[in-house]
This record gives sequence, structure tokens and C-alpha cells, in this order.
Amino acid sequence: MTAQIIYAFVTVLLGVGGCFGYFYGSNWLLDRTFPANANNDASAVRNLRIQGNIRPWLFLGPALLLLSVYLIFPVIQTFWLSFHDRAGDQFVGLANYKWAFSDDQFRLSIFNNILWLAVVPALCTLMGLIIAVLTDRLWWGNLAKSLIFMPLAISFVGASVIWKFVYDYRGEGQQQIGILNAIVTYFGGDPQVWIALPFWNNFFLMVILVWIQTGFATVILAAALRGIPEDTLEAATIDGAGPFKIFFRIMVPQIYGTILVVWTTITVLVLKIFDIVLTMTNSQWNTSVLANLMFDWMFRGGGDFGRGAAIAIVIMVAVLPIMIWNIRQANAEQKGH
Amino acid sequence: MKKHLLLCAALAALFVASPALAEMKYKPGEDSKFTWANLDELKKTDLKGETLTIFGPWRGDDEKHVQVVLDYFREATGADVKYSSSENYEQQVVIDTSAGSPANISVLPQPGLIADLAAKGLLSPLTDTDAKWMAENYGAGQSWVDIGSSKDKDGTKKFFGFSYKTDVKSLVWYSPENFKDAGYAVPTTMEDLISLSDKIVKDGGKPWCIGLGSGGATGWPATDWVEDIMLRTQKPEVYDGWVSNTVKFNDPAVIGALDIFGSFAKNEAYVDGGAAGVASIDFRDSPKGLFSTPPKCYMHHQASFIPSFFPEGTAMGKDVDFFYFPTFASKPELGKPVLGAGTLFTITKDSKAARAFIDFLKLPLAHELWMADGGFLTPLKSANPAAYANDAARKQGDIMATASTFRFDGSDLMPGKIGAGAFWTGMVDFVGGKSAQDTADVIQKAWDGLK
Amino acid sequence: MFKSFSLEPSRIALNLAVLFIVALWTFPTAGLLLSSLRDKNDIAASGWWTALASADVSKKGRLKGMADQVQKDGKYTVSGNLLEGAEAVSGKISAFGTKVQNPTANAAGATATLENGQTLQVNADGSYLFTAPAALTEDSAGRVFYVASQPPRFTSENYQTVLFSEGIGRSFINSLTVTIPATIIPILIAAFAAYALAWMKLPFRGLIIAIIVGLLVVPLQMSLIPLLKLYNAAGTFMGVPSKTYLGVWLAHTGFGLPFAIYLLRSYIAGLPKDLIESAQIDGANDFKIFRRVVLPLCFPALASFAIFQFLWVWNDLLVAIVFLGSGPDQLVLTGKLNALLGSRGGNWEILTASAFVTIIVPLTVFFSLQRYFVRGLLAGSVKGG
Repeated sequence: MTAQIIYAFVTVLLGVGGCFGYFYGSNWLLDRTFPANANNDASAVRNLRIQGNIRPWLFLGPALLLLSVYLIFPVIQTFWLSFHDRAGDQFVGLANYKWAFSDDQFRLSIFNNILWLAVVPALCTLMGLIIAVLTDRLWWGNLAKSLIFMPLAISFVGASVIWKFVYDYRGEGQQQIGILNAIVTYFGGDPQVWIALPFWNNFFLMVILVWIQTGFATVILAAALRGIPEDTLEAATIDGAGPFKIFFRIMVPQIYGTILVVWTTITVLVLKIFDIVLTMTNSQWNTSVLANLMFDWMFRGGGDFGRGAAIAIVIMVAVLPIMIWNIRQANAEQKGH
Repeated sequence: MKKHLLLCAALAALFVASPALAEMKYKPGEDSKFTWANLDELKKTDLKGETLTIFGPWRGDDEKHVQVVLDYFREATGADVKYSSSENYEQQVVIDTSAGSPANISVLPQPGLIADLAAKGLLSPLTDTDAKWMAENYGAGQSWVDIGSSKDKDGTKKFFGFSYKTDVKSLVWYSPENFKDAGYAVPTTMEDLISLSDKIVKDGGKPWCIGLGSGGATGWPATDWVEDIMLRTQKPEVYDGWVSNTVKFNDPAVIGALDIFGSFAKNEAYVDGGAAGVASIDFRDSPKGLFSTPPKCYMHHQASFIPSFFPEGTAMGKDVDFFYFPTFASKPELGKPVLGAGTLFTITKDSKAARAFIDFLKLPLAHELWMADGGFLTPLKSANPAAYANDAARKQGDIMATASTFRFDGSDLMPGKIGAGAFWTGMVDFVGGKSAQDTADVIQKAWDGLK
Repeated sequence: MFKSFSLEPSRIALNLAVLFIVALWTFPTAGLLLSSLRDKNDIAASGWWTALASADVSKKGRLKGMADQVQKDGKYTVSGNLLEGAEAVSGKISAFGTKVQNPTANAAGATATLENGQTLQVNADGSYLFTAPAALTEDSAGRVFYVASQPPRFTSENYQTVLFSEGIGRSFINSLTVTIPATIIPILIAAFAAYALAWMKLPFRGLIIAIIVGLLVVPLQMSLIPLLKLYNAAGTFMGVPSKTYLGVWLAHTGFGLPFAIYLLRSYIAGLPKDLIESAQIDGANDFKIFRRVVLPLCFPALASFAIFQFLWVWNDLLVAIVFLGSGPDQLVLTGKLNALLGSRGGNWEILTASAFVTIIVPLTVFFSLQRYFVRGLLAGSVKGG
């Protein structure tokens, strides 16, 4: 045990130390090679310019390298696979895409994904904003936020167990062990198989993600709210603005950027939603979403990499609008600087 | 980077103690129900310094059982055997084999998946000697060879999967005392079973507990029902055709079987929780209805592994027993078919130790060790039946041995997308109210959609 | 702030509203906590909320049999107590029966007449007396069903199973070995990259940002096979094992980077412009500005990301099982707990208990870091976004 701890400690130290070493080392090297305090002004200016050209890439380098290896390379590979057959040997042209768009399951998944996208990010951000504002004014606000944040710390497997105890169904007349059905029968209703109710079961699954992600939204938005200059708020109160006016006219515009970040993050997460559907329904009862469909085609029963890859590409193309919006944001900022 | 890795490796080597010699559960030579002579034979194989990795489906208690068997292999040959498993291990096998870093031996319960992997050239074939040995030494040996054989990358049929550890599926579980209290007799024909079900309904009870819930695999228990009914309404050749889709899924023969299953599972009066409950009740919770007071149901159709989900302290033969899922008296020509399943050992990364391990599985001792621990049936004729842990296992072994027809679980034989996909989903939809015809059409369409 | 809103009724309404939301959010978890403390057979038998109160439960037992029979006055009697242990003290039987179809046929204390002249009396305290005209030949005189009031009962057994399982401590250390670097490395790399993308002059800046945002959406599952192939090739080439801690750190870093850069960039870009410009005028280079000015200022954002990355890595199973070996020196906690489940799953008692065991570390991290982003270190200087 002690040996293992020492080993772990040394390993951790090496890994993290190596990372620090790179940034300090490379910058030190740059300053050393092209000193800004060179003996004559001309070379100092030249060196500064060279530094300015090189340093961004020193900063960005590791990130770009890792992104290329871990994400861009698999994306290219997937793109290539999506035009090939199940084992990735034979070129089949657009056959996988043609198949996808004529497949019922695929259409259903697209529909469900859109449903998720329409509901979850909006609900999470709204709930997060409300909770952040409300708890901001409470002495026990931090505790409340922590409790709301807690679901985020639970693994998806744990979350699925929790919600099994919420949605569980037992036959009529028997003791219900799911809290939702227990409440329904207590008020005289008939127990329902919640996760098997066509169409509505999507919403019962979404509740789980909202439950998990609202904590994320709350924490980020609360931090941003704290960042609003206090004199701005005080000035508004002195001017006689009511709480709602302050909320909509001052708070929301001030943290608009953060709201968008939260919204985008959750949107992207929803587009990739996978674990909840896998653990709760495994795409049964018409709850299939794109990521699960992809997983099924890639790994279930031997796997068809071609079709799985085609679905993955569709998921990625779906994010184009968000990308375009972000390019515009970035460009606008660049002009601003 | 490299230096760092080497350092890590060195540190790892320093700190990871070599595995202590495992203690063996049954002392060699002591209990005469084991064929100890095999152990001396095995000692002739020297695998010192060799590492053998095995990736299989067994976790929890089952893992303890498999470790018992592996201990003897370790002890006799000196090989370092590493067994591991994980919840989504079937997907992991696909990932690992496709990426080129699989275990030496992968244990798979699905011949369909083996066929997929073999066709991609990811498995090493076993030898003709292995196939010949199995045909000669297993009960209904050729059928086991067939289950483990499939086409390789070039389209030639080869033997890939060595069956070891089997389950009987055609069982109905019940509480003998509940039957006695109510005055019910164990039915011997399907007609009797149906009239018994009706009688239980008339007495105010529910005859069946059926639960299809299984997380990521929801729906599979229904496939066992349908397969069992197929074997009891159609000739084995039709069953084989169905599994390979030469008989279409929406063929009247299959629709008929679906409808019979529907007459049980979709019958509100027959099933605990009603038809709506069938699809959502977890299969692991479902048998518990047999033991509640008053009983939620009287019968439960499930394979021989289900006792591990019975409430703690349930005594086999006393609190619970099983009978063979009966056949139709009106179809005597079909004999006594038995549906089974099992795990197949495949070589995913060839090595001397892997081959030696396959040879080890041919020894009666390898079977007897797990038989003694329970939850294990074997078609190996030379294994000593006295080694079975209890009478129930012996009785199940007997059902398998006396079967006039033995067929492997059809959904495991079908391509993964069907047998572990469309078939499951189809059953959930069927129980949820879809007609047999519509269900079968959808599954057939999915099958047509495979390349 | 908002000191002027301390009107009493609105204060109460506010408290109630927050209380309601918090209750709604914690209720499901409370269910998990209670379930994890219950007997494994109870978990699937009754709702967790019933565990807190005494309840009438139908139970069954077996009478003793021939080994314990006593011959008296030409009759054979067997006596004993149906309730055991703690139940015997507090338990109370209200009805009993011997047929499963009618388990509450007799009130407690009554004597029931059974077949063949046998009788059975069961008292409220669980004691029973069985009489038969002929000697018993079986090891049990039969089953008896009864309704007993059961006090709330909890057990630590589930936690014992999880906490004292072999090798769990080591898996815990392995998990930390994976998680700590896999949290710190992406933060460092992303912070530098985010600063470069927010404040440094470089070509294709917009394009790089767009690509990084686009990469947010790459489904993880898709990259497993290409990466594992790469690892195997690299491992063979360099003569090292392909499944190493370094490999899994880099994988987590790669997968976490887009989100980290995205989050941190938008935060760093929102820092006041004059702050950075004045530092530049003072002659500081970007590395110095980053270390001295930007890094301390964006601590809340770093802390937020650290928590999310930590949670994600800590709770991850997929990446760990694919990129790490499954030997005791590399098996992580999620993998270890996963292995405790039976082959066919469904061990609610282990799932519930292990969910709480795994949550402890992330919650500790959260509570120790939360002050950084809720205390508002930078109130007034950062507008966010």
C-alpha cells in the first residue's frame, strides 16, 4: 500500500512537473535566445517582434498538438470510415449516408435529439439563473447551491440508480417502490410505466439531465453575478428600480456572455447525450438519440464502423451553426481589442 | 517522454509485488469426485514466465468460481493468468480486437458476435483436432462444433469457439409448497400448463411473473420465450432457418410463436403487473414475486442461472424448484427440445499459453471444479456427475443430456444488430401492444437492412 | 448587496422558494442514501421512504421439525419463536396463517386447526406452539406466514461489502493517480492556450477558436478505436506497454481541452483591457503578464473547470477501461466497483453504496474549492463573458 502511494505520488509529480517544466522551460529559452534587453535598440525591437511571433505558438502548442491527436485525427479517421463498409475495407461512397436518412431509427433519433436540444439547455440555464439570483441573497445560499450542485458529482450509473427509484413501476394494487408512482397512487391515480410512455418518456429522461446540469449552470452564473460591480446595482436601487427591473435590465445584460457560454456548453453536451439513455432505456420505447445509435452501430454485435461513422459525422455537422456563431463572436472581439 | 515511461515501468515493476501462489480450494487428491489424474498430466505443460490474459463475462460471485478453476492451471503450469471483466465487456472486446490489443482469450456468450469478429479476421481459429475432440467428447458433440464454427475473412468455415459452461433455458421455476397449498400439479404438457394458468386466474391469482427489464439489454428474456415456443411448435430445421434468416422473421411460423408468447405475456390476467409491467419490470426483480406473501405469481420462465437472484436463504428443492417447460401433446413428433446457451472461449491473441489453456478445458477436471462450485453445467460426457454441487444442477444436466433436440439460444446466434438489438426492441414493442405481424415485419426490415 | 430588499414577507417567500427547489433537488439523492442503508432484499421490496417508519410487513418462516419435537400426553409438540434478534424485542405479530393464499387467516394468539388434527398457535411476541397427533417425520413442521410490525431497520452491510472488498484501497489510489494529473495538466495547457487566443496577436485566431468549439461536440466513443490503435503502434515502436498512466492522462487532457479552452477563453477575454495594456506598457512580456496578472485573476474560472474535469475523470469508466489495464496496479475505483456487481448486474445494494463512496472525494474537492468562485474574489473587476 505504502509502495503504491509513493509510486502514485512520484507518477503524479512527474506528470504535472513535466507540464510545468515545458511552459517555464520553453519561455525561458525564448527569452534567452531573443533577449528583449539586448545591447542595442534595433536588435531589442527585432527580438521583441520575434518573441511576439513565436510566443503565442509556445502557449498554444501543447493544446493544438493534443487536440490534433485526440480529436482531429479521430474525426478525420471517422470521416474516412463513413465512406467505407462495415470493416472499413471497401469504399462504398455515400451508401452509409443514404442508409441513414432512410432509416426509421435514425429519423427518430434526430427528432429526439432536437427535442432534447429545445428543452434541456433552456431549462437548465433558466433554472440555474433563477437559483443563482435567489441564493445570492440568502445567508444559506452557499449551502443551497452546494446541494443543487451535488447531482453533478454523482456518476451516471449512480444517477440511473437514483432515478430508477423515482420512475419504478409495480402493478396496480401492489406497493409501489418508485416515489413518482407512489405519489400518483396516493392521490388515487393509476400507476404508470413512466419510461415506456411513448413521446413523454423523452421528457422523463430529460428531467435527469436537467437535475444534473442545473448545478453547473448555477455555479457558473452565480460566479458571474458576483462579478457585477456593486456600485452598478446600488445605483440602480437608489434610482428606485424594482428587483425585476434590476434582474432584466442590469443583471442579465451584464452576464449575457456567461449565459451564452452556459447555454452553448449544455447544448453541446445534449448533442452528445449518451449515458442517460443507455442506462435508463437503452434506446427502447422510442427514446433513441444519435450518440446511442452511433454506439450501437459501432460496438454492438461486431460493429459496423461505416454506419456508426456516418452517424458521428451527422452529429458533428449539427454543431456547425454553433461554430459559425462562435466565429462571429470571436471576430467581433478581435475588432474590439 | 520515453525516459519517463521507462521510469514508470521500473517503478511499477519495483512496487507491484508478484502474485502470491494461489491457495487451491480443493486439495489435490483429496476428493475422489474430481479427476485428479488430470492435474499431473497438466503439470507436464511448462508455461513458467508466460502470461495469459483472459477477458470474460464473469463478475462478482461468478468471478470467484472462474478463479478457482484458473488457480489449478496457474499452479500446474506456472503460467501467470490474468482474468478481467467489465460491465460492457462485449463492446470492449470489439474495441480491443479492432484496435489490436485484445486479451489472449476472450470468452463470448454470443456465437453471432464470434461470427462477426471471425469474418473481420480478428480471431485465431482453433485446430481441427480441437473440433474433432469436441464432436467426440461432448454430448450432441457435432452441434457444439457447429455453434463454435463460422466463416473467416476468406469465407472458409473454421472452428473458433470452444464451448465451456452452459445454461439450460427451458425451465419454469415455481414454489412446490405454494403449488401444494393451492392443490396445483406440475404440468407435463403445454396444454396442461395453459389450463393450469387459467385455473390460477380463476382462483384469484396471477400465474406468471415476466420481467423484460435488463438495463441496456431490456427485452432479452422475451427472446428466450419465443425461442422455446419455436422449438415446441416447429421442426428444428425451421428454427435453424429462422436463426439464419432463410426462414423470414415475418414467416407465419414465427408469427405463430410470437402469438403464443403474446397469449402469456400480453394477457392482463396472466401476468403480474399486467402487460404494461412486463416490459419495465426488471428481470432480476421479477422472480421475487414467487416468494412474496401472498405470491404475486406462481411460475417464472427463466434459465438455470436465475437462483442467484432469489431472495437470500432460498432453499433449492424446498422453497423453489423447477420443471421442464413442457411441449404440446398435440405435437409429439417434435420430441423433447431443449434450449440452451453457453460461453465460448475464443483466441483473440494467439500464444502458446492460450493453446495450452484450450487443451486444459478438455480435461474433465476443468469442468468438475466449477461443477462443484455450482451454476455450471457441462455437456462433457467424461466429467463426473457426482461433482455437481446439488441435485438441481444434476437434474438440469440431466434435462440437457436427455434432450432429443438441443438448440443454442437463437438470439445469440443471430447477427448482433438483430439478436442483441432489433429482436429485443421488437419484443418490448410487442409486449407494449404492437401486433405480432407488425413486430415481425419491423425486425425483418432491420435484418434486410444489414449488409 | 441587495440590503434594501429586506422586506419581511418577500424574505420569507424567498427562503421558502429556495427551500422548495433544494428539497426537489435533494429528494432523489436522499432516496439513494436511504436505500444504500437498507437490507438488500428490502430495497426492491418496498419504497425507500417507508424505511423510516415502522411498517406491517408480510413475512414467512418455517416451524422447527422432528429434531425439536417433544412428546407430551400422546401428542407431539414443537415450540419456538418466529422473531429473531432485534425483531424479537420490538416486533409484534398481528396475524398469521399457514396457507400462502390466506396468510392472515388467524389473529395473533388464536389457535388454528390444521390438517390431520394438527394445531398451531402463534402469539404476538412471535412464540408459537405446534401440536400434532403423530410424530413428525420431516425436518420442518411446515411454513407459517405472519404479519409483523417491523421497526425501521438499517444496515451498514452494503458499505462494508464495498469498503472492505479486496483491493479497493489500491483502486482508490489508482483513481487519484489518474485524476489529479488529468485535472491539472489540461488546466495548465488550456489556460495558456486560452490566453493566447484571447489576448495575443496571431494569425487564424478566429478559425482556431471555431475549430476548438467544433471539437466540443466530437463524441468520445468514436475516437476510442483510432486512439487505441495509435497507442498500440506507439507502444510497440518505443518498446513500452501501450496501456500506461501517461496515456490515460493525455487522453483525458485531449478530451477535456475543448471545453477548458472554451470556458477559460471566454473568461480571460472578459478581463479588463486596460489591466493587460498597462502591464504591457510596464514592459512585461506575455508570459509574465499571464503569470502575474491573468492567472490570479481567472482563479475562479480555473477552479470551476477543475471541478468539472475532476468530476468527469473521477466518474469515468469508459476511458479508463479502454486505455488502462485491468490489473490491480491500474484498475480504477469505478472499474473496481463495477467488478463487484454480479455478471448479470442488478445488485442495487452495491450500486447504491458505491455511488456514495465515489461521491465523497468529488464533494470534498467541491467544498474546498467552492469558496474561490462563490466568495467573489474579484467583485467589481470582472464582468464575465
